[in-house]
Amino acid sequence: MAVFIRRLEEQDEVAPFDCGDERLNNYLRRYAWANQQKSSIGVTFVAIDEGAPRTVIGYFTLATASLPRDAFPKEYVRGLPPYDLPLLARLAVDRRFSGKGLGHALISEAFKIALRVADDVGCRCIVTDAYRDKIDWYARYGFVPLEGAAESGLQRMFLDIRTVRLAVKSSP
Amino acid sequence: MTVKTKQTKKQPQSTKGPRKSKFQADLAPTEDRIVRGLKQELQLSSNTDFLSDALALFRWAVGERRRGHHIFSETETGERKELVFPRLERVAPGVALPRVEISWTPRELESLADLASREPAHPTETLIRAVRG
Repeated sequence: MAVFIRRLEEQDEVAPFDCGDERLNNYLRRYAWANQQKSSIGVTFVAIDEGAPRTVIGYFTLATASLPRDAFPKEYVRGLPPYDLPLLARLAVDRRFSGKGLGHALISEAFKIALRVADDVGCRCIVTDAYRDKIDWYARYGFVPLEGAAESGLQRMFLDIRTVRLAVKSSP
Repeated sequence: MTVKTKQTKKQPQSTKGPRKSKFQADLAPTEDRIVRGLKQELQLSSNTDFLSDALALFRWAVGERRRGHHIFSETETGERKELVFPRLERVAPGVALPRVEISWTPRELESLADLASREPAHPTETLIRAVRG
C-alpha cells in the first residue's frame, strides 16, 4: 500500500470514512472542507492510498490557537508578544486501515508542518486536545498532559517545538 | 522496468566535459506502463530524454513553489485547479494556518507556561522515527 498525504480537496470522497468515532467522522464529512475553504478555521490534511486517489483513509486538522496573553501567569508575561501556537485539532484513521502505521505517518507530517510554521513565524510548542484513551499514544511522541483540564473532557497536551528540533538533529 | 541513463565514465582528455552521473530506478509495472505511454505520447526515444524533460519540469515546479507561487491548470472556460503535491509543499515558504480561539483554564495556562520555560525534554524514540522520514 503506497500512501501519500496532502491537503483535503473538494472532490475527495469523505463519506465512506469511518474511524469508529462519530464526532471525528462527522467533522470530516460535514465540516472539514467548509472550515478549510470558506471559514478558514482549520486546514485538513488527508492520507490517500495511491490505488484509490480520492478516498480519504486518514486525516488530521491543523490550526493556530491563540494564547490569551491577559490570562497568562504574570511572571511569564514580560516580553511575551501576542502568541499563537500550532494546534493539532483532530487526527483519525479509518478503522479498515488501523494498525498499519497510518496514524504515525499522519502525525509525522503534522510535526513537519509545525516545524515549518515555527521556522516561518516562530512558536514554542504544539498543543493537542486528546481523547482520554489516546493520551498514551500522544505521550509516546513526547506530548505532556497540561494540568487543569476538566476531568471528563479532552486532555490538552503540550510538546515543546525544541524537542521536535532535537529529534530532527537526532536523526541519522 | 529499469530506467537508466547510461554514460561513459572516462572520456578523452581533449574533450573532457563535466562528469555525468548514472541514474537507475526500479519501477513497478504500473509506473513502467506510465513511462512507456508518456514516452510514446511525447515522442521521446530514450529514457535519458524522458528523465531530462521530467527533471526540467520538476525543477520548474520546485522553483515556483519555493518562491511561494501556486501552480494551476486552467480550462478553456476559466475553471482553475491547483496542483497540490505534498513534496512540493515542503519547499513552499510558508504554511498559512488559520487562527482559532480555544478556551484555556488558568491552571492549563500556568502549566503551559511552566513547561515552556523548562529545558526541552529529550525526544522519544517514536518522535525521532516520526521526523526521520
